[in-house]
Order: sequence, then structure tokens, then C-alpha cells
Amino acid sequence: MVVCTLCSCYPWEMLGLPPVWYKAAPYRSRAVKDPRGVLADFGVSLPKEIEIRVWDSTAETRFLVLPMRPEGTEGWSEQQLAELVTRDSMIGTGFPKAPGAPS
Amino acid sequence: MNGVHDMGGMDGFGKVEPEPNEPMFHTEWEARVLAMVRAMGAAGAFNIDTSRFYREMLPPHIYLASSYYKKWFLGLEDMLVDKGFIAAEDVAAGHAVQPPKPLKHGKFALADVERVMVRGKFGRAAPASPKFKPGDHVRAKNIHPATHTRLPRYVRGHVGVIERDHGCHVFPDTAAMEAGESPQWLYTVVFDGAELWGADGDPTLKVSIDAFEPYLEPL
Repeated sequence: MVVCTLCSCYPWEMLGLPPVWYKAAPYRSRAVKDPRGVLADFGVSLPKEIEIRVWDSTAETRFLVLPMRPEGTEGWSEQQLAELVTRDSMIGTGFPKAPGAPS
Repeated sequence: MNGVHDMGGMDGFGKVEPEPNEPMFHTEWEARVLAMVRAMGAAGAFNIDTSRFYREMLPPHIYLASSYYKKWFLGLEDMLVDKGFIAAEDVAAGHAVQPPKPLKHGKFALADVERVMVRGKFGRAAPASPKFKPGDHVRAKNIHPATHTRLPRYVRGHVGVIERDHGCHVFPDTAAMEAGESPQWLYTVVFDGAELWGADGDPTLKVSIDAFEPYLEPL
């Protein structure tokens, strides 16, 4: 999960302007202390044994998450896979879309 | 500075509220503020660290009650008045009353827009060898400068591990004060959740910051 606790640093060139929630106090304050609580606000839960890594963007380096490849996408083209990728899956607050799910 | 902008680990701000189909801007003035800040930065009126410092210096109740672009606007106004680009009389009148102060990079033109929306480069030549290498244990210094810094409070005094060396970069602490770029080595430092938040913290959590060398001490 990527955050900027001090301001709102975000990979503009890759993802566009950040959403309001990324720049607002609830996300900036909680992402580094209670990321599972933040994920719950997005309707996402992860198994207890999964390690959660949070990147606080405190310098001019910008981060984005490489989303996990969904099951059932073997042999898919780059373009097909790209259609499953969401903005939030690159911030680290959601999964990519599942194959066949409504877009 | 130990301001309310340094939010990591604070409680009480409530839930994160994603907005479905969020527009790029919620009102027209937000786009104008974004344009003004980028244009004045590109014209040489200030650097990115100075602009962050002016937002941090907003009074806490103003900072917390203002939207992102409102903070940008208020910080820009304070900064332009302090640097002499506009006068309080100009702001009161809503237009230029005083003759304008020349900009370092000259007049800003439409053809400059694309260039200024591309990020600046912050890597610099190294003035010395790095003190740390990946795998080293380090402590984030317990420092509390009243001026701009990018070392968040929640890691100060805590021990982490250097994960990555990013090379030398402009040092925000001096750049924000217009005291020079003073390039410093920059590292990604990883902290265990339990080190930061104690025994009640999430045991599966690891948090990293990007830390400039002067923020760190060897163990």
C-alpha cells in the first residue's frame, strides 16, 4: 500500500491526479498504523498471515503496486490483462478486476 | 516542523471515503489553483519544498478544515506575499495594484504548460560516499526541527533496516528554506510494525519511509 503521510505525493505521471481520499486525513493518518482497517473501508480483507507492506512517500521517489495476476488469466495478452488493472490496485487498496467481472 | 500535516499514526479522523466515479476536479477554481501553483513554480517563484512548507505553516485549524486545493491556494497566497510577488493590497483589490516583481524564468507562456506538468529531476551528483548500505540497521534520529523536514514523527527514535539506496537527492530541509540543495544520500528504510506501534500493533505490518542520510544514525 502506498501513502504520503506528510502531504499527498502520488505518481501523477502514471496514475493521473490522486483521488480526494488519498489526500485526506483519514487515509494519510491510518495507512501506516492500521492498514487492515483502511482496507476494510474499501471492502477488502486479507488473510491474517499475509504481510502488509506500506510505502510512505516521504521523498521525491514515487511508488505504485504491481497488482497480482488474477487466476484464470493464463495466456491472456498484455491488453487483456491491462483491462483488469484498476487505479486502486496500483495504490494497493484493492485487487484487480476478476476475469469476466463487469467493468 | 511538528505540525498537523505530519499525520502518520494519528487517530480520530474517521473512515476513508472513496467516491465512486470521482471527477478530476470538483469545482472550476480547483483546476485554476493547480494551474497557478504549477505556473508560479515553473516561473521560478519557489521550489516544491518551499511550497510544501508554506502549506505546513497554515494554522492547524485552517489546515484541518481546508480541502486539498484550498490548502494549495492559501499556501500560495502566503508564499507570494512573503516573496514579494504580490502585495496584501493586490489580494484585497482582487487584481494587481502594485507593479509586478519580475519572475526568475521570465514570462510564463501557453507553450510552457506541457513542460511544467512534467516532474522536476531531484537526483544530484554525490558530494561524498554513502554512510549506509542495504541491510544496515539504523535509527531514525530523535530530531524536531521547527522548519521543514521529511522525517515523519512516527519513526523518530525507532530502528529500521536500510532496504535500498536511491542515490543522492536534493535535501528538502535546506531547499525549503532556500538555503541550497545540499544533496544527500536517500535510502528506503523499513520498520517493523511492532517497533513503531508497540505490542498491540499489527504483527504482519512493515512500513518504509524514504530517509535522507542526515535523518539516520548508525547502531
